Amino acid sequence: MSTMMQPQIILLKEGTDTSQGKAQLVSNINAVMAVADVVRTTLGPRGMDKLIHDDKGNTTISNDGATIMKLLDIVHPAAKILVDIAKSQDSEVGDGTTTVVLLAGEFLKEAKPFIEDGVHPQNLIRSYRTASYLAIEKIKELAVSIEGKSLDEKRSLLAKCAATTLSSKLIGGEKEFFASMVVDSVLAIGNDDRLNMIGIKKVPGGTMRDSFLVNGVAFKKTFSYAGFEQQPKKFENPKILLLNIELELKSEKENAEIRLSDPLQYQSIVDAEWNIIYDKLDKCVKSGAKIVLSRLAIGDLGTQYFADRDIFCAGRVAEEDLQRVAAATGGTVQTSVNNVIDEVLGSCEIFEEKQVGNERFNIFSGCPSGQTATIVLRGGADQFIEEAERSLHDAIMIVRRAMKNSTVVAGGGAIDMEISRYLRQHARTIAGKSQLFINSYAKALEVIPRQLCDNAGFDATDVLNKLRQKHALASGEGALYGVDINTGGIADSYANFVWEPAVVKINAINAATEAACLILSVDETVKNPKSESAQGEAAAGAMGRGRGGGALRGRGRGMRRR
Amino acid sequence: MALAFDEYGRPFIILREQDQKSRLRGIDAQKSNISAAKAVARILRTSLGPKGMDKMLQSPDGEITITNDGATILEQMDVDNQIGKLMVELSRSQDYEIGDGTTGVVVMAGALLEQAERLLERGIHPIRIAEGFEMASKIAVEHLESVSNKFEFSASNIEPLVQTCMTTLSSKIVNRCKRDLAEIAVKAVMAVADLDRKDVNLDLIKVEGKVGGKLEDTELIYGILVDKDMSHPQMPKQIVDANIAILTCPFEPPKPKTKHKVDIDTVEKFQTLRQQEQKYFDDMVQKCKDVGATLVICQWGFDDEANHLLMHRNLPAVRWVGGVELELIAIATGGRIVPRFQELTPEKLGKAGLVREKSFGTTKDRMLYIEHCANSKAVTIFIRGGNKMMIEETKRSIHDALCVARNLIRNNSIVYGGGSAEISCSLAVEAAADKYPGVEQYAIRAFADALDSVPMALAENSGLQPIETLSAVKSQQTKDKYSWYGVDCNDVGTNDMREQNVFETLIGKQQQLLLATQVVKMILKIDDVISPSEY
Repeated sequence: MSTMMQPQIILLKEGTDTSQGKAQLVSNINAVMAVADVVRTTLGPRGMDKLIHDDKGNTTISNDGATIMKLLDIVHPAAKILVDIAKSQDSEVGDGTTTVVLLAGEFLKEAKPFIEDGVHPQNLIRSYRTASYLAIEKIKELAVSIEGKSLDEKRSLLAKCAATTLSSKLIGGEKEFFASMVVDSVLAIGNDDRLNMIGIKKVPGGTMRDSFLVNGVAFKKTFSYAGFEQQPKKFENPKILLLNIELELKSEKENAEIRLSDPLQYQSIVDAEWNIIYDKLDKCVKSGAKIVLSRLAIGDLGTQYFADRDIFCAGRVAEEDLQRVAAATGGTVQTSVNNVIDEVLGSCEIFEEKQVGNERFNIFSGCPSGQTATIVLRGGADQFIEEAERSLHDAIMIVRRAMKNSTVVAGGGAIDMEISRYLRQHARTIAGKSQLFINSYAKALEVIPRQLCDNAGFDATDVLNKLRQKHALASGEGALYGVDINTGGIADSYANFVWEPAVVKINAINAATEAACLILSVDETVKNPKSESAQGEAAAGAMGRGRGGGALRGRGRGMRRR
Repeated sequence: MALAFDEYGRPFIILREQDQKSRLRGIDAQKSNISAAKAVARILRTSLGPKGMDKMLQSPDGEITITNDGATILEQMDVDNQIGKLMVELSRSQDYEIGDGTTGVVVMAGALLEQAERLLERGIHPIRIAEGFEMASKIAVEHLESVSNKFEFSASNIEPLVQTCMTTLSSKIVNRCKRDLAEIAVKAVMAVADLDRKDVNLDLIKVEGKVGGKLEDTELIYGILVDKDMSHPQMPKQIVDANIAILTCPFEPPKPKTKHKVDIDTVEKFQTLRQQEQKYFDDMVQKCKDVGATLVICQWGFDDEANHLLMHRNLPAVRWVGGVELELIAIATGGRIVPRFQELTPEKLGKAGLVREKSFGTTKDRMLYIEHCANSKAVTIFIRGGNKMMIEETKRSIHDALCVARNLIRNNSIVYGGGSAEISCSLAVEAAADKYPGVEQYAIRAFADALDSVPMALAENSGLQPIETLSAVKSQQTKDKYSWYGVDCNDVGTNDMREQNVFETLIGKQQQLLLATQVVKMILKIDDVISPSEY
């Protein structure tokens, strides 16, 4: 009998999970929708936060779509695409990460009944692409340019964009305060692309109103040795020397050994070593600098030597802080103390060591090039400050994008409603299946205002109907109407200064459509169980390594200060 | 976690280890978060006020802490719950920023959450509640400003400062001699304060404690106290007009840092090496003598040979003095820290009027007093007490008092304590609530109710009838338009806090309200908790 049976051809390794066809497509869509449901409630000014703990005991409280998606640790292959688009939105424009996930989920949800009815996915994909093209064109058409305005006007316009972003965050209560801070800091660094010139420092304690912007650089007091308190803590117009060398008594060569046959020479060796370090210190002093900063350690000898000569010094300054000081003060980081000329020294108007909460901060302000800014964030809890930092990051990105592509559109769902109306209108001119698909694309876009209402606890259907009616007015006067989050009605978003940069919307629609099309075009998943577990291990390994070299503790005979 | 299903109804996994994660969402998440936070607040509630009780905490390795300080209690409790941790951080922030009022801020946050829970049950959106609270806190903070008083003090008139510090200390275990401690704290702060810049560096105040004696023996030393003694028992115990050499180099032959090796192949060479070593010791002591030092304080040790030599040459020395203390000594005596013997000069010596060694009771412990220093910008508060726990608690209390004094130097506005400020805010917020349209009005009113809980807790802890007392004070405040009536915790007979001299700093109170509101908003805003199931 057995010879009668056809031998089964084994193509793939045992345990490989293959699923294919329509069923696969539908289950992928289900997975994506489940993920989109998780972030759904974070949208908008009445959006809620998520508290996520991982198994290592770290906790994050966040409202930022990209952060949440990253922390969810998604393993489903189709759903992972959503994480990627959230990330790409984050790195491209910095904000609208929730929007993009939501839109992708909604596009697929609208596509699901068609797939179940047997429409070929490629048809859907083609229509979606056309629709997204049309939508983007429409956004460009509707966008209002803020180019050519005076600086003051521009500043207030940018602040409005930042405020819209911040309104959905935890620090929304103080959005005007932070928005102007963000705009000031972005304007300070000008058109420079180096985002790391804006430093954000976090100090627990105080209320968020106590946060402040330093027009220059600020960093926490570094590890210091005895003698530090005797140094002067305030200078006006000091010269600043930036170093990348150790100013410590130490062996000059690691593996060298000195052999002495005559004990009398002993002293000369000792002297020689001391002379090397004294020589270095002396050169620092001779350069005329009043502040000496080094990325590497400045030992107790150096600290006391400088204290004697009324010079302020700080060792082990973090790399990025040192770079920022260099950019701000116009100095250059030196790797040797020989030939220190005036040109490499930086300067600023005022240097001061100040108490901020429980920490002491070194603050350099009034810097000549003024291409840096530091935001010192205060808040009641670590989690709070973390979230505030993420929110400010979003706002900074938005302001930067708005400065570059200076066009804005009305927020609060107004732009989404308008595109939706436009696409519906357009669909009617098409003969064929495509009409249905573009119509459903248009319907999917309405998810933004609908979710805004749902999160705020309003009757979404009611508000949406009002909005549709307003947008359908032939005169076009209703094009700027969006959800009014305070009363549960509708209002002119543009007039109420709910603005977002056009690029956020363009990128969100683009990315969401791409993701939706990608998922629609997949009809088979081959999941190899072994490689997956190997992947897991690799990821765990990388994490383990990352944790290793963290704590760089001050060594030597100094004392640890808070 | 919500499961997704495919065509055939098979569930599939989206998140890693999905089945091991638990998820709470919506109103359940908010309820459980609020109850966790409330539990923390309930623990602290009984510690509030002058009649508040202490908590005893035992650490995993058996160490016992008894304290009344909110921040310390929460820190030691080792809270595991995430929301509980937020409350701990809340109290810590108050501690960092203000130093006092760490219990009050948690009680306030707990009360706000309790009110919020009630509103949530009525179906009000959590963010609307949080926004209402924010509006209310703004009203309250402004109101505080209007009822605050400025008071004048100067270096010669420190009485008002002492009064305020006494209010802080009255809730602590040390309230028996609060007057003395308050005076010590204020004097210490005034000694190191920079009145022009309004800055106080608390690092310059050293707080030292020693078991034994009475609390009344606690003293303020204009100088430094070091828990060390002279390196040799026969050295003099008292030095008048000392010139102090402060060294960070050891009394031993210098060693090159590079790896080295001395080849000794003959007896002569060995002899010279030996002689050289002795010469080093000799030179070092001579150098110290040459510049006129009468006392050597060294960060490092020295061996018996050097010790003997120092003794012989009549140069008293102290060894193994820690870096922080060394620095304080340098600041106090106006000396410089010298890293190498070659750099010793007479100018670098520190001057102190009197250096003496003092022994305590029957113990052999001795401490070194360095007093009458050239520059008295560094002071020491020396605490005595019956047991270690008592001393630790006194240290914390003194720290609170120091912070209060510092805050007053920065900003000399005060409000009146005993719950009077809260009651008056509550009245103001209540009145303002009616002006707001919309749902926020309810939240603002709830904020006013939450404000009442502080005086209520005060009354409760003092054994008074909370509701009766509160309503009596409230009606009195409205009737007389006098916002200084508070809860008479100590049964003095009057509830005019101005007469009782119960003060608190304005910034401390404002900070409490703002911080509590901020954290409450954060807690209310969470509607989804995803955690591994073992939590």
